Amino acid sequence: MHRARERSALIRTARVDVERGGTDGRVGRELTQVLGQRKLFQKLTPGIMHAFIFWGFLILLPTIVEAMLAIVDPAWSLPVLGDSAAFVFAVDLFASLVIVGLGIAVWIRKVQRPDRFRGSHLGEADRILLTILGIVATLLLWNASRVALGTYPHPAAAPVSRALSGLFAGGDGTEIASRILVWSHVLIVLGFLAYLPGSKHLHILTAAPNVWLAKPGGSGRLVPLRLDLEGPEEDLRFGAATAADLSRKQTLDLFSCTECGRCQEVCPAWATGKPLSPKLLIMDLRDHVNAEAERVLSARAGGVVELQPLVPSAVDDEVVWDCVTCGACVRECPVDIEHVDTIVDLRRHLVMAESRFPAEAGGLLRGIEGPNENPWSQPAAARLEWTEGLDIPVLQPGDPAPEYLFWVGCAGAFDERARAATRSIARLLAATGTDFAILGPRERCTGDPARRMGHEYLFQQLAERNVEVLGEAGVTKIVASCAHCFNTLANEYPDFGGRYEVLHHTELLARLIKEGRLTPRPTAAGATATLHDPCYLGRHNGVFDAPRAIVSAATKANLEMPRNKERSFCCGAGGARMWMEELEGTPRINDTRFAEAAATGADVVATACPYCTVMLDDAAKSAGSDMRVADVATLLAESALPPLTVEP
Amino acid sequence: MATVWIHAGLTEAGPEPVTFELLSAARSLGGTVEVVAFGPGASATGEDFGAHGASRVFACDEDAGPRAAARTLERLIHEHGPDLVLFATSYGGRDVAARLQARTGSTLMSNATAVTTFDRARTEILGGTRIVDVQFAGPTPRLVLMKPRSAEAQATADGPAAEVVRVDTEPSADLREPRLLSRQAQTSRGPSLDDARVVVAGGRGLGSAEGFAMLEALAGTIEGAAVGASRAAVDAGWRPYASQIGQTGRTVKPDVYLAVGISGALQHVVGMKGSRRVIAVNKDADAPIMRLADLGVVGDLAEVVPALTEEIRRRTGS
Amino acid sequence: MNVAVFVKWVPEPEGTPRLGPDHRLVRAGVEGALDPGDEYSVEAALQLVETHGGEVTVISMGPDEALPAVQRALAMGAHRAMLITDERLGGADALVTARVLAAAASREPADLIIAAVESTDGYTGTVPVTVAEFLDLPAVTFVTHLSFEDDELRATRQTPLGTEEVACALPALVTLTAGANEPRYPSLKGIMAAKSKPLERPSAAELGLDDRALVATQSVVTVEEAPVRDGGEIVPAGEDAVRRIADLLAEAKVI
Repeated sequence: MHRARERSALIRTARVDVERGGTDGRVGRELTQVLGQRKLFQKLTPGIMHAFIFWGFLILLPTIVEAMLAIVDPAWSLPVLGDSAAFVFAVDLFASLVIVGLGIAVWIRKVQRPDRFRGSHLGEADRILLTILGIVATLLLWNASRVALGTYPHPAAAPVSRALSGLFAGGDGTEIASRILVWSHVLIVLGFLAYLPGSKHLHILTAAPNVWLAKPGGSGRLVPLRLDLEGPEEDLRFGAATAADLSRKQTLDLFSCTECGRCQEVCPAWATGKPLSPKLLIMDLRDHVNAEAERVLSARAGGVVELQPLVPSAVDDEVVWDCVTCGACVRECPVDIEHVDTIVDLRRHLVMAESRFPAEAGGLLRGIEGPNENPWSQPAAARLEWTEGLDIPVLQPGDPAPEYLFWVGCAGAFDERARAATRSIARLLAATGTDFAILGPRERCTGDPARRMGHEYLFQQLAERNVEVLGEAGVTKIVASCAHCFNTLANEYPDFGGRYEVLHHTELLARLIKEGRLTPRPTAAGATATLHDPCYLGRHNGVFDAPRAIVSAATKANLEMPRNKERSFCCGAGGARMWMEELEGTPRINDTRFAEAAATGADVVATACPYCTVMLDDAAKSAGSDMRVADVATLLAESALPPLTVEP
Repeated sequence: MATVWIHAGLTEAGPEPVTFELLSAARSLGGTVEVVAFGPGASATGEDFGAHGASRVFACDEDAGPRAAARTLERLIHEHGPDLVLFATSYGGRDVAARLQARTGSTLMSNATAVTTFDRARTEILGGTRIVDVQFAGPTPRLVLMKPRSAEAQATADGPAAEVVRVDTEPSADLREPRLLSRQAQTSRGPSLDDARVVVAGGRGLGSAEGFAMLEALAGTIEGAAVGASRAAVDAGWRPYASQIGQTGRTVKPDVYLAVGISGALQHVVGMKGSRRVIAVNKDADAPIMRLADLGVVGDLAEVVPALTEEIRRRTGS
Repeated sequence: MNVAVFVKWVPEPEGTPRLGPDHRLVRAGVEGALDPGDEYSVEAALQLVETHGGEVTVISMGPDEALPAVQRALAMGAHRAMLITDERLGGADALVTARVLAAAASREPADLIIAAVESTDGYTGTVPVTVAEFLDLPAVTFVTHLSFEDDELRATRQTPLGTEEVACALPALVTLTAGANEPRYPSLKGIMAAKSKPLERPSAAELGLDDRALVATQSVVTVEEAPVRDGGEIVPAGEDAVRRIADLLAEAKVI
């Protein structure tokens, strides 16, 4: 009871993040994810296992009430259901399914032994499975004993109970057995309820609310932190420093984790030997919060208490920085735990309050903070260098807004390898007579890397500045060539007053192909490609078909990688990690992904984001491979446009 | 007749070579050239300095720290009234000159590339893109720090030995100076990447850790050169992270950046774009670094680098 | 121990500063920052007082535009700052600058003064040691590592032949090389705290300097564009290429 009170108090007293608000889609999510177990079915066998047990328990809930009633007075029965043959059949069926599910669970855990359970409390899981077995077995046997005694309604509808009733001889012995069974059943259930708050099985109570509270608008958007620097300093929160800073959703996340490890399985950092596992992160935070619970509640009530810093007491610095914010963990989690949000909140405190971050990222922050406001510290005028030899309209102050503002992004403007894509996109748009223009020197970093690093203040300054410039220019539609810019402009700028129709370049180009305004020529010796889905385009924003349409049009075939679409494996540059070194001695994330691409046997790795292009190209060179890495726009330009006679 | 003085620092091996460059620069002004020499062996420099055009050497054989040296120089200036004093931009010369300007009230000009008259000198600013002529006002003597290699050291055909005048330093008992505890000579190390005038950097093209030995040999022939690496070479384990130049490494601004086997990706370029001159050696004529280089050599670095090392050795006699 | 640090605001540390018609660097309305070289000095000072107690004061001479440089040092953790602004200091040369900084530093004598070996826009490299002479202090220059042990300063310094370990009693002045440490990035908290730290804005007169002390004894006569190097050339490898490289090195005066 104490645990239950404590945990509910932790949730109740946690701050509510109003910025997560909005109700769109929440009811739908509850129905599909909770009732429909949608995310659980992302892995088929475990999905079936859990669905059987979950649906089983929903159906069997009334039987628990029935059992408790029966202890008091065997003559009492449930209204309506007590007399329903359909219900009797359902009980029999679902109780059996639960047992089947348990069997599958045992097989998964004891025979298959998947790696995702590494670090999970397997003993606790076994005990829970055993308890469930106890509950369902005692139920079935109790029903069976009642069939033998002739007191079970509609026994014809209960084949399993009938079969089991053969175990009972009838008469006094069975009476006693029946009493023992119903008492056992109720006691096990009550015991389970008492055990619940202290165990990971608490998820049965927290999962549904957790799914409800998941932020709307997709995983690409981070919730803004309101920083009122003029206000009183005590009210200022720079992120999550201690357990008391965690929000209601973040706390609920911790109590919803079942240690299933589906997140761990897909994390690129974990897959390449880094200490970050989303599952272990949540578990460590959970354990820390539980250990500090009393002090946290006291602090929140106004007491002067010293709380341990989450980093490094619960989580190591290295773990916090290993994250590439790809969102694979969030996508897999059946109970909608939002690991990335919590990691960024930890980063926010580390960066803004303590300035504690990998030294290499200092250059990134200085670049964005400095006079040129971009990660590469390049002068603004250099944003036009890629236009050499092409006639690209540059939007001047006072000019009427074009139909599409082509947001080039810093990588696309400054990085040699990324410029190929930028030039291709511009040429394709020009060739189709699309009305577009670039901001050129007036463009600034969207702030995405600063935000993912946790420097929310810097991000907001850039966002406000960019929204002002775009607003003055009267821009309504934007096409972005970088998946990160695309995500930030589409999903995060609205929080700062910037509302535009934002397309990724693949979306616009695919549309132009569909409309027949671009006609890729089938090339004689066509190359095969394998498309790498960028995390910020695919998983975070659901754009999978557009790049595929382009690859299909421009190349001979798209040989899909095993981990594609929502399951795409990150290139390693997200989360501002483009500017950080990976843990020494571990395989590189980009090398790992490139190996997967090379294994398809394709000639080209097709990308749709400049970060991916650079990372995979680095990996290709590292592997000494001949495989080409090119943006889909470049492939399309080669296929649909006459070649430029002079490439400057 | 106007008089120029050269401040000469002495090492165990004799006068610093840069002194002879200063003497040549001084001679081109016309007028009397004299030397003020500090350090053991100062009084034995008459012939050497004479051969380079000095007529007199004020020799102070004691090991004077910069504070005492500055005061001694001030006293000599009062006694003899030179019009101009030239210093070498060496560790020792700079310290003495800086202290002297406080005492004489005449501003010390730094980084001069030439002295055109007794009142005028030249320097470069803004990354060498502008040449500036500076006029001196204020009390004589004018004080000038010359950049190394601003002039060629040239001996005169028949310079007679200079007259040596022994002088004492100012008393320095109560002039506190730092105390030397120990010295470590670094024969092959050279300057750190941050301070190096020349950076020789290697990338993936070197193929192995052993490949860098070639670059170390090359750097060894150039005074003030350090060896750096691109991220690819560091990732491959051929060089330590401390030598990585680029986005997640160091930023360097040498006079010359020699990029060997480096493709020139942006992550690398941001770490060296401030270099005054860039030379690239790469087998790929389309490598991005070629666009950045003042001189790009397309070919096999395994041939170019050793040949270059030889050529430099030949020219510098090292 | 109380440490004073000399810092400077430089215009456009990443780009190329511009010259005005008076041949002086344009500072008004230009983006600038704390001289990157000075960050190492501030960091060294902070590390010393964090270990040995005391406070860090940053001293700078500059126009109003220079305020951000001083604020950044405060945001890093310096305790107080002094920015000397005076229109008569517009054309100050190295000697005048040294007089001003010496006057400022002698107001509240510190145990140790730290400055960068040279500024990234002026490169004169003489101001700190001149200040040391005005204040009668010993100077340890080109320091790569600094500590305080047994009541005296211990420093590793760069020399033409390698390195030296030296000891020096306080008070003293130190010039620090770039790369001597890893300067901390000011946290947002630090930036906010900087706003309420003591900041003095004396004029030259308030420091006891009269007009004569502020007269520069050097002036710029002409500024010409240096001959522009030809656009980059690409040549095939061979004897000729090697010669060309060596020529370029000679032209750059590195061999």
